[in-house]
Amino acid sequence: MKVRVVEIASNLMLKNDALAAKLRARFVESGTLVVNMLSSPGSGKTTLLEETLRRLSGTYRVAALVGDQATENDALRLARSGAPVRQITTAAECRLDAGMISKALAQLQGEHFDALFIENVGNLICPAEYDLGEDLRVVLLSVTEGEDKPLKYPLAFNTSQVVLITKVDIAAAVGFDRVAAGESIERVNPGVRVVEVSTRTGAGMEEWIALLDSRIGAKALAPAR
Amino acid sequence: MHEITVALSLLDGVQATASEQGIERVSAVNVRVGALSGVVRDALLFSWDVATADTVAAGSELRIEEVPLVVFCERCEGERAPLPGYGLVCPECGTPSPRIVSGREMQLVSMEVPA
Repeated sequence: MKVRVVEIASNLMLKNDALAAKLRARFVESGTLVVNMLSSPGSGKTTLLEETLRRLSGTYRVAALVGDQATENDALRLARSGAPVRQITTAAECRLDAGMISKALAQLQGEHFDALFIENVGNLICPAEYDLGEDLRVVLLSVTEGEDKPLKYPLAFNTSQVVLITKVDIAAAVGFDRVAAGESIERVNPGVRVVEVSTRTGAGMEEWIALLDSRIGAKALAPAR
Repeated sequence: MHEITVALSLLDGVQATASEQGIERVSAVNVRVGALSGVVRDALLFSWDVATADTVAAGSELRIEEVPLVVFCERCEGERAPLPGYGLVCPECGTPSPRIVSGREMQLVSMEVPA
């Protein structure tokens, strides 16, 4: 059979990247710091975010979007912080994309926020590919996970600006090896900011909140406004 | 896990080009997929067959070129392919090399149509 070759040459991420660029411009305009949180299921994203919203909401207008394949349970939990929260139920999709964020933002009815937190679907593979227009990508690694997770999911750790080591209150009990974890992180993202936190004891929370505080302030004053 | 989404996005691109050019049947599609993209080859092939049923690309062959992970090593001042499972580290001098040169691709390259 004779065939003819038709060139197409398109990048599958183009559509998402274009939408993400629009979101980013919009967030520059509004001076909203956007934080995209990635992790495996069960690493403590929702608990950390609930506490983060609670601590920031005295000072700032904060909101959260939360992605899950099913249920609205996380949105209900986060709403206890008092901040506006919208659940994005992704069904078959294993990650959030920029289009989903645009739609969910419409439900927040154009309110102004100093910071918007996006809790991605618990998964370290697919979410790493999708730009959501965020300023800060934060990846969580709980002490109950393997210290070599950054080596197994290099892109998620490579594309993040902050690594949060969570549940450090039980680090000793589960035999967490800090040095090994630190070495794994350095192998995919040398020099990245690492903060150890525990929502239960409050350890590291001040450092994490101070980091957000300075980024929210910087975004609000960004010259592009 | 996301192979069906990837297959549907590829199909979107194929269908758009086919309808622009009045193509009625596609016999093969060439794509490039990076080692870091998290796409499982067999799952994508399976998804492709499911996604393309009753479309212009029904029964077409999906040819997947796997693009290896390549990083830029500042110390060696060159492109290097890290060993799988060791992070983004230069295999020659051991320097962490977070600048990814290739391995993130998800590209629709071309398609073949009966002449």
